[in-house]
Amino acid sequence: MSQPLEPIIKIENAHKRFHTLRGTVHALNGVSLNIKPGEVVVIVGPSGSGKSTLLRCINRLETLDGGSITVDGILLKGARNINKVRAEVGMVFQQFNLFPDRTALGNIVLAQRVVRKRKKAEAMARANELLAKVGIPEKADSYPAQLSGGQQQRVAIARALAMNPKIMLFDEPTSALDPEMIKEVLDVMLTLAREGMTMVVVSHEMGFARAAADRAVFMDGGVIIEEDAPDVLFSNPSHERTKLFLSKIL
Amino acid sequence: MDERTRTEQSQPIHLPPPDESGDGLTPPGPYERIINWLAGLPWWALILGVVAVAVLYSMLTSEAYRRVIQSLTDNPQSSTEDLYNVVQIVGEPTMIVGRYAGETQDSVTTVVDELLDTVIGTSQVTRTGFLLAEDPASITLRTDGGLVTIPKDRIVDEQREMVGGNEQITLTYIERVTVSGTLTKRTDKTMTIRTVNEAAQTFAVSRVLSRTVIPCTQVNAPGCEEGEYVTIERQGEIVTGTLNTLSNTNLSLSLPDGNTREIRRSDIDRFDVPTLTVALNARSAARSIVPDDEVRIAFVLDTDIMKALDELETLDDVPVPLRYADGQSRVVLIGYGTLDEALAATGAGEADALLYLDDGPDRRYVETWVEDNPRAGVALPTPPRECQKGCKVTVKLNDDVLTGRIEWETDDEIRLVTTEAQYIDLDRSKIVENRRMEPGACALNNLRGCNAGIFLTLRVTFQAYGLALLIGLFFGLLRVQTNPVLYAVSTLYVEVVRGIPLLVILLYAGFVVSPQIRDTFGVNLSDEQEAVLGLAFGYGAFIAEIFRAGIQSISRGQMEAARSLGMSYPQGMRFVVLPQAVRVVLPPLGNDFIAMLKDSALISVLALPDLLQLGRLYVSRTFRAFEGYNTVAILYLLMTLFLSMVVRIIERRTRLPH
Repeated sequence: MSQPLEPIIKIENAHKRFHTLRGTVHALNGVSLNIKPGEVVVIVGPSGSGKSTLLRCINRLETLDGGSITVDGILLKGARNINKVRAEVGMVFQQFNLFPDRTALGNIVLAQRVVRKRKKAEAMARANELLAKVGIPEKADSYPAQLSGGQQQRVAIARALAMNPKIMLFDEPTSALDPEMIKEVLDVMLTLAREGMTMVVVSHEMGFARAAADRAVFMDGGVIIEEDAPDVLFSNPSHERTKLFLSKIL
Repeated sequence: MDERTRTEQSQPIHLPPPDESGDGLTPPGPYERIINWLAGLPWWALILGVVAVAVLYSMLTSEAYRRVIQSLTDNPQSSTEDLYNVVQIVGEPTMIVGRYAGETQDSVTTVVDELLDTVIGTSQVTRTGFLLAEDPASITLRTDGGLVTIPKDRIVDEQREMVGGNEQITLTYIERVTVSGTLTKRTDKTMTIRTVNEAAQTFAVSRVLSRTVIPCTQVNAPGCEEGEYVTIERQGEIVTGTLNTLSNTNLSLSLPDGNTREIRRSDIDRFDVPTLTVALNARSAARSIVPDDEVRIAFVLDTDIMKALDELETLDDVPVPLRYADGQSRVVLIGYGTLDEALAATGAGEADALLYLDDGPDRRYVETWVEDNPRAGVALPTPPRECQKGCKVTVKLNDDVLTGRIEWETDDEIRLVTTEAQYIDLDRSKIVENRRMEPGACALNNLRGCNAGIFLTLRVTFQAYGLALLIGLFFGLLRVQTNPVLYAVSTLYVEVVRGIPLLVILLYAGFVVSPQIRDTFGVNLSDEQEAVLGLAFGYGAFIAEIFRAGIQSISRGQMEAARSLGMSYPQGMRFVVLPQAVRVVLPPLGNDFIAMLKDSALISVLALPDLLQLGRLYVSRTFRAFEGYNTVAILYLLMTLFLSMVVRIIERRTRLPH
């Protein structure tokens, strides 16, 4: 896996501040991270450590206050057509964010038609193919409200995949799910990882991380505390902060 | 309302047969069933039903309510022929303006119907050129601009002079005609336009001092006098006889067999006097005859040819071959034994014309013969002298003198048509410009002509609401922008307009903005447009707030999901956020629509005859405030209830499954 490839995501000294009534929160405080094509990176860390912010900065849902992020050779800051970059970066949200007024199929077809300008038949074919891939071909005509959490999240993954992205970002994809539905989502993600998709996953699913991730990153207070192979990081962390965190969640 | 309950209600109820052993349960009685059915209906259906029944009951029983409703709905007739008020420009005015009257060697005569001439504008053109060809219908000139063929019936003036041995002709002819009037019928090919409206007066018989029947001696309306031998066509039957008495309603005939017959004048389809019949040889009719030519006239031997020649001189419109028969040319009289022989001889060219005057059987025989023998070469130039259905009368009233046709007469009243309606058929292919076409009278078969009362209220409301939706959506979208300028502009609009009474906004639109627009841009806004603008502008602020709330009610994650898929902000708005927001705002939007329908009553300050204004006019005219305002209120209520029903249905249709 570790061929000398040019990183597809290059994060250099990223800073991000949020201004609230109670003062300024330094969500990212000089984060640097390189992710190579095909690499699967899991980011763990306590709440408020900036891991979700980092993810959202990668497709510029949030803009940086300092430093730079380059995705697939395009510097995000001042990128003229951010929508082109976003189309190459699929994102899966904790709350699914499916379009409630469209069927599962409609959710997957919409962006293909609007952004990729695919013909209707082509988009439908692709949507059906992806629904089969995530294991719910029979739910094509169901509305999100009629689906379970796990099914919704799988539709969301299919929706992102329909754009044929080069990178997939997962923002705590299983945190809002009942425990028994977590596995069906993780299975889909595992399959994706094995197919060589570049993935950045914010998750506390150690099992998934061990099975699929090339690298695990531990973040706290807006900085990367340490990064290593998942097995090493989880079983034998070098930092005290990491040890403390892991002892709480395990 | 519970869906389940209603579904069960709509299914036929199968009652179990009466059970003697019985479990004590009795099937529900009809009264109970009606109560159950009523309870299953939604509340608005109950109100709607009660109101509808009440209104129907009032309309059926009370003349006063019927009148109010009529007046509030723009007094619709059940049917009308006044479809549109039109002004049409016709390029080839043949058959409209002129009537080719005849010609001599030097000039062409065109009779322009005076009456039509006053209601039809014409534009005339003068052309000068050399005569190239001439036939009975047209003249062809060679002019500087090429060949021009002009139908003779369009020529109004003609001058001829010799220039260098050639005859140069200057013709003034009618190029275009403006026809204005009321469109009464339209087919694929023609348009019937009423250019002169019928004018009539109804007056009490007691006002009549004297009544004189005008002897119908006019050329165009020859009457039939007592003692004349007449022919009457009545529902397919032809009756001939001597006219005994002629009143405005009846006539009596002495039939040849000695009997007398009474005929109602209104039943008569055609009524004419056998008069001098002129039949022409078709070729002679087309030929110009000069004074010195020989004119051969055929006649039937036992008829009075001398009297016929005298009659010929009294004709207003002498056919060409006979024009010089009174002494200027040599007249050869040829007698034949029977009418058939005479006709055949005329057709064969032995005679130029046939003159036939008979007290007995009428000219109908000649007409029939000509029709039956189309190849005989006989032409009939003059129509029969036709009696008018109703002869004109001059009525001297105690304060006025009227002349016209009596349309009907009862013991108490008389209706006199003083001006007859005039109609023109236009060939649609010849219309070069449709200058004006406005809806005509309000009637059930012409609803587009209804524009006052309830119709105006509905039209203004729909137009204003449509515009308000656009304004509201625009400012609502601005209200959720992060750009401070856009946000400030939209907030300013919302706050200012929301803080001013709608009545003030309407007055502002009508008396401040509209005159400004007229002065600045030269655009004249109609009262209705001012009202629509005012209402839309005033309601736009409320609708903007509704849209803002709707958009903000959609979670931010939706837009983020859309953006993360590569959609632009407008695309995300258009395809993801707005469709969801519209579902959310449908109920308040429906509310606002109903509110606007009610507030449209304010437009009466702009002197618009809306529902309320007509109601007030009715009340001030009749002092029947109770019926007047009751009806206004009920009509508004019916409309709003109906609309809330429609909004409800739309809401249900757009509800998402869950």
